[in-house]
Amino acid sequence: MKQGKEEKTTNQAFSDVITSRLGGETITLCYQCGTCASSCPVARITPRFNPREVIKLSLLGEKDEVLSGDAIWLCCSCYNCQERCPQKVEIADVIYALRNIAVKEGNIPNIYSEFAAELINEGRIVPISKFLEKKRPDLGLPSLKPVGVDALRKIFSITGFDKIKQEKAEAS
Amino acid sequence: MTSYALFLGCTIPARQPSYEVSARRALTKLGIELVDLANMTCCAPPPVQSLDLETGLSIAAYNICLAEEADLNIVTLCTGCFESLAMANAMLKENEKLKARVNQILSNAGKEFEGSKEVKHYLQVLLNDVGPNRLKENVSKNLSSLKVASFSGCHLLRPSALLKFDDPEKPYIFDDLIETLGAKSIWYRHKLKCCGGLLRGYADDVALALAREKIVNTTKAGADCIVTLCPFCFLTLDLGQVLMKSTFHEEYNMPVLHYSELLALALGIDPTELALQFHKIKVYSVLNKIG
Amino acid sequence: MNEVKVGVFLSDCGNQLSKILDFNALTNYVKDVSDVVLVKRNSEFWRGEGLRIIVDAVKGGKINRVVVAESLPKLSEVSIVQAVEEAGLNPYLVEVIDLKDHCAWPHRETPKEATEKAKAMLLAATERAKLLEPIEKLEFPALKSVLVIGGGIAGMQAAVDLADLGFEVDLVEKEPFLGGLAARAGRFFPTDDCAICIQSPASDVKTITHTSRKCVYRSGFTEIPNLNILANSKVVGVEGVPGNYKVTIEKKPRYVNELKCVRCDLCTPVCPVEVPDEYNAKLKTRKAIYMITPNVHPPVYVIDESVCKFRDCAKCVEVCPTDAIELDQKIERVTLNVGSIIVATGFQEFDSSVIKEYHYGDYPDVITNLELARMIDGFGPTGGTIIKPSDRKPAKKIVMVQCVGSRDRRWNPYCSSICCMISLKHASLIKTAYPDTDVTVCYIDIRTTGREHEYYYERAREMGVKFVKGRPSEISRDPETGRLIVDVEDELLKRFLELDADLVVLAPAMVPAEGTKELAEILGLELEEDGFFKEYNAKLRPTETKLRGMYLCGGATFPKDAPTTSLHAHSAAMKAAKFLITGKIVKDQRTAVVNEEYCGDCEFCPVTCPYGAISLEPTSEDHIVARISDLLCEGCGICVGTCPLNAIELRHSRPNQMLAQMKALMSINGTSKPLILTICCSECGHAAVDSSGMAMMQYPANVRVMKVPCTGILQVHQFLEAFKVGAQGVMVVGCKSDGCHYEVGSQQAEKKVALARMLLKEYGIEPERLEMFNMVYIEGDKFAEAAQTMTERLKKLGKLQLMEGS
Ligand code: SF4
Ligand code: SF4
Ligand code: SF4
Repeated sequence: MKQGKEEKTTNQAFSDVITSRLGGETITLCYQCGTCASSCPVARITPRFNPREVIKLSLLGEKDEVLSGDAIWLCCSCYNCQERCPQKVEIADVIYALRNIAVKEGNIPNIYSEFAAELINEGRIVPISKFLEKKRPDLGLPSLKPVGVDALRKIFSITGFDKIKQEKAEAS
Repeated sequence: MTSYALFLGCTIPARQPSYEVSARRALTKLGIELVDLANMTCCAPPPVQSLDLETGLSIAAYNICLAEEADLNIVTLCTGCFESLAMANAMLKENEKLKARVNQILSNAGKEFEGSKEVKHYLQVLLNDVGPNRLKENVSKNLSSLKVASFSGCHLLRPSALLKFDDPEKPYIFDDLIETLGAKSIWYRHKLKCCGGLLRGYADDVALALAREKIVNTTKAGADCIVTLCPFCFLTLDLGQVLMKSTFHEEYNMPVLHYSELLALALGIDPTELALQFHKIKVYSVLNKIG
Repeated sequence: MNEVKVGVFLSDCGNQLSKILDFNALTNYVKDVSDVVLVKRNSEFWRGEGLRIIVDAVKGGKINRVVVAESLPKLSEVSIVQAVEEAGLNPYLVEVIDLKDHCAWPHRETPKEATEKAKAMLLAATERAKLLEPIEKLEFPALKSVLVIGGGIAGMQAAVDLADLGFEVDLVEKEPFLGGLAARAGRFFPTDDCAICIQSPASDVKTITHTSRKCVYRSGFTEIPNLNILANSKVVGVEGVPGNYKVTIEKKPRYVNELKCVRCDLCTPVCPVEVPDEYNAKLKTRKAIYMITPNVHPPVYVIDESVCKFRDCAKCVEVCPTDAIELDQKIERVTLNVGSIIVATGFQEFDSSVIKEYHYGDYPDVITNLELARMIDGFGPTGGTIIKPSDRKPAKKIVMVQCVGSRDRRWNPYCSSICCMISLKHASLIKTAYPDTDVTVCYIDIRTTGREHEYYYERAREMGVKFVKGRPSEISRDPETGRLIVDVEDELLKRFLELDADLVVLAPAMVPAEGTKELAEILGLELEEDGFFKEYNAKLRPTETKLRGMYLCGGATFPKDAPTTSLHAHSAAMKAAKFLITGKIVKDQRTAVVNEEYCGDCEFCPVTCPYGAISLEPTSEDHIVARISDLLCEGCGICVGTCPLNAIELRHSRPNQMLAQMKALMSINGTSKPLILTICCSECGHAAVDSSGMAMMQYPANVRVMKVPCTGILQVHQFLEAFKVGAQGVMVVGCKSDGCHYEVGSQQAEKKVALARMLLKEYGIEPERLEMFNMVYIEGDKFAEAAQTMTERLKKLGKLQLMEGS
């Protein structure tokens, strides 16, 4: 009995955490119809990810399984599901919210740490090769304008984005 | 002449000169002026949103602010950039609370989002500023024997509630614009499904499997080529075929073209000026069908 | 008026109350109140000897105002008032209060304080009684005739019931033939019998037995002399009042004379115009002159004027042997005078084409349940075979998709409640006729909640119908083979299925019938957010509306199966009969009245009155005044609270009566705590106070209760008045905002309280001294708690300092 009660409070807490985050607001509307899963190109290809299950697990309060697992990182953000969900669950956005929470807790896949580093250092997430940059005039392209990386850093200092790497370091 | 702030993004200058060349050439030819603004950055696509949605929104808003200052609407070539910027634009215009929060963040970078400008994908410019009639008039090549499998990429259409680009389940704008050039746009299974591009780097196997579905379905449907609107889809499908060869020992040789390339070709721009050598899968078969 | 003489009658409830309250002190106190001429104590006053004491006093002319302190006031009031009336006094000169539940019980731990509060209560009742005025009873005519709108099963059943009871009934159907949606459904669950089977009328003497169940066309119901059927007609205007409506009906021309047509069918073969037959899901064609199926009512052909070539052709006119065809017929307007109106307009299938991923409308082999029903019907366009509309070949693999547009927050958030059963019925009927057909049902949840319903599910499984738990994401069609593919996740197997199908049958949501909105506007009825007609009270009065005299039944209020529709129809008929049966409507004048001199034609009150009782009428060329219909007014007083010029009063709750009560309640404290005036509505608010007392929950005796009809009557200045006469705090207790017995009264009061709190600040009165509470009967504990909290709060705030001049 006591255990059951405790379990309930953690569930409560996790769905509250999700609904109070940008993107996660609609998760509790889910009634498990499976439209999202059937719409999801990824779920069709690999058993490692099923959006319906991610939502179910989250609503059941399986926080660790959701946040440290690899499923949430397998969504390709195609929004096929979100268009069709009859309960207007914003599934792709919910998954962003879950990723954001995972990041806050220090669960960041390597490639995402690299994205973050590129963005903080260069203001872009895909680096530009010197080779192509030099070749632009030959191709008839104007030279590239400077990137507003300083402005971005000022933004990051407010949103805390610049601390993402540290969090990762602390967690590991 | 209609002018736009060109939002180039990261992937196009970093990887796909042929996209940029063909788009600049074709749009200029059709009377659209593209202005390159200083200090633009990454658009904050899904990888950034995955790290922090609020940061992503703020970055997108920052870039829109630059266009607002220059008093220009934005045009993007990349579907991903279109989604990030248009979505942020719509969300912030609709939601006062969110706008206030983002402006609080932006104030540190000396910017304020007003919501006075629009973000467009270049297809919308072709459709509304140039118009199908003028487009048709400018076509000087015959594409009628070309069967095209169009793939707009997810982020041109979805989330439709915010992007409001086209009917998300029965899109027609892109296909119509292909047919305006004289080519035939064909049906293939799971046309609206994702190419998997965003999973590259995190789960290459899954990404490749998705790309393979696309290639298989378009091949089955008898397409002469795939035409895309997004550098990411392009990469996934073009380079992807090289990986399919090494991984599955399967060779499809399905040419993948940017729509802007098809457009430039239809307008009669010389193929040798379009940097087509950057394609991994060669496009001769397509060029041969263009009369 | 002659001199006021009040008699006060104190019941001690068999000495129960005297253990707490000092009755001697009470009697002595009341005796000395001015105009009190008689004080009596007894163990009860609402029946037997006690009641006789009151009656004798009235009859003897000793008293002309009656104040009774009695327990169970709701119950006792009825018999006291009746007895007083019989004794010759106007029954509205009686005031009954409850010293038990409002005083003795909740304050039993502080008997002295309770006694002091009881004095204040008796004084307040007496002061109010003195100011009461006699109130008249009015009679209004009620025509014994009813209009029923909608000729589906609901409308037909209600019409038959009322006609059997002797009422004149007009049944209006907008389509050329009766039957509604039901007629197209073929068979009904849970009996699997014909949809067009109804209960026969009592006038059909041969069939007044329990087996009197017959097809519409055989039932004889169309021959009931006092039932007038108007097909091809619609209501275009309604005027008048309950009991006496004037309804305008527009009758579309049929172009075939009903009295002459003999149904020889010579006309259809010669008609050159052939169009898809909507009634039969466009699976066949019909002519411009047609009948939907042979067994219908009226048994007369009709010409579809949207396609007929009229004089350019007139081939049918030439062949008709009885000269029944009259191409010159014009729209007719008919006026009906009826006492009451029953709306039975039903529902229809939602347009599934908006769910683009299912491609209804694009792919001919994606159909709906109703279209399938036409195929299953032996009378239908395919003679009972199930085909693919695209090539008319038999459908061997069928996939059914549930919840199409139902339980879908993009379209209709509600469960349409009957579609699971319809699909199960269809699946079984198909399996029975064609056992080798492969039928798969994709569902989110199967809902079979009625009697015999689960059996349908069981039978379908037995017959080999397959069930997939999962909502399909997409229906696509291979352009080469033309075959349909349904993408769905079987959630239980966690497998992604691509179901191959000849035919996909959607189970669309059921939505209000076309024209519902327009009709609601004409009738002045409200719709719910879902678009269906709003019933007066979903739990207790499901077939009534806010307007007396107008009733609802069947699918007009929500999708329903046939059994529930029948029940509903009988209920609506019963309500209409009850309303009209005596031929008159008796109403007392506890209504609102406008002081026309003050009325400044601001036009606020007509829109605020929830019952449409107020109209603006010109008195002179440039002046209009509000006038209130005694028939329509429900006596809530919401208009009183709204009128900015204080031009409206309720005859039985005048401002001077309320003020006198307030003053009296605040004139005696007897406790060391700050006095609180609790103004509660006579519905949930008062009931919550009752229930806290009944359960003997304790709250302090400084809390005094004044009852008003509805909190909507309160005006902002009355709160200030309360403070002026000595209240240290004011509690307003009303119904829940969305459960107000007078629709909007509670909400109005909330707004007033919010406004008053702002204004009170100006007078130096802390806004926390005034608060609104919303309670229901079972929340007596909440009331006791609120009273406590308020008392504590006021203690902390200290004594109220009223500013000069306020
Ligand atoms: S489609 Fe929506 S309601 Fe259905 S399972 Fe997915 S998130 Fe839940
Ligand atoms: S957005 Fe993510 S979960 Fe939704 S369909 Fe696309 S990949 Fe699947
Ligand atoms: S008292 Fe109520 S019902 Fe009567 S007129 Fe006023 S608002 Fe309408």
